[in-house]
Amino acid sequence: MQTTDPLSTTLAALADPTRRAILERLSRGPASVSEIAEPFDISLPAVSKHLKVLENAGLISRGREAQWRPCQLEADALKRVDDWLEHYRRFWTGSFDKMDAYIAKLKKEKRK
Amino acid sequence: MSATLADDELLITRTFDAPASLMFSLWSDVNHFQKWMGPEGFECPNMEMDFRVGGEYRGMIRSEKYGDTWFGGVYREIDPPKRLVFTWMWDTGPAAEVETLVTIQFREEADGRTTMTFHQSPFASVERRDSHVGGWTSLFNKLAAYAAKQQEQRV
Repeated sequence: MQTTDPLSTTLAALADPTRRAILERLSRGPASVSEIAEPFDISLPAVSKHLKVLENAGLISRGREAQWRPCQLEADALKRVDDWLEHYRRFWTGSFDKMDAYIAKLKKEKRK
Repeated sequence: MSATLADDELLITRTFDAPASLMFSLWSDVNHFQKWMGPEGFECPNMEMDFRVGGEYRGMIRSEKYGDTWFGGVYREIDPPKRLVFTWMWDTGPAAEVETLVTIQFREEADGRTTMTFHQSPFASVERRDSHVGGWTSLFNKLAAYAAKQQEQRV
């Protein structure tokens, strides 16, 4: 299940509704584990497990203070996801340009 | 002819000068598919499709600059000429080995043209994608805003 590709790891981490909700919480600012856990009907250890996955995926980082280790979002991993979407955007937009030209050609052939 | 790109997710809406039945066959008929697959500078010399729900497809696009790139997936929903859902994954390249889910809807307009709505998400499971807890789109809005803020702070 372990993968070396950082994008796959990031997207796999994103493919869970609880983890996405945690990221949404952190998009409003850094928070402690108990603050993050508050709105969820799951145990602190379960939340810690999700945070570990997000941390391994580079999506969040944890502060170093022993008592209060605030979690915060990491912009670089988000940038990778954005680049990945951009790759697909360019690919499909280019293909649909060709689709348009192909439809025009089919119409022209039909008229002959 | 119009192209709209949302800033926050992969959603492409575009109107084509063709009826919905033809639009659908551009995806379902291998001979049509190979004619348009890939951006300018690419051709699609290989494509095999088992066009039925649960059936697989596999193809390759070729360009002088990037060489051969293979892709493949599984058809999940087939509802001609309105809706088509399939998984999509590249074998190699910058976006490789992440399974995505593509949902395409066709709506024929009164003037005979068809609006195609193309949606692609990195979550190949429909259950996950449709989950109400922290949807992909709203999350991505917030994350994009956050990333932009981080950039500003660095400047």
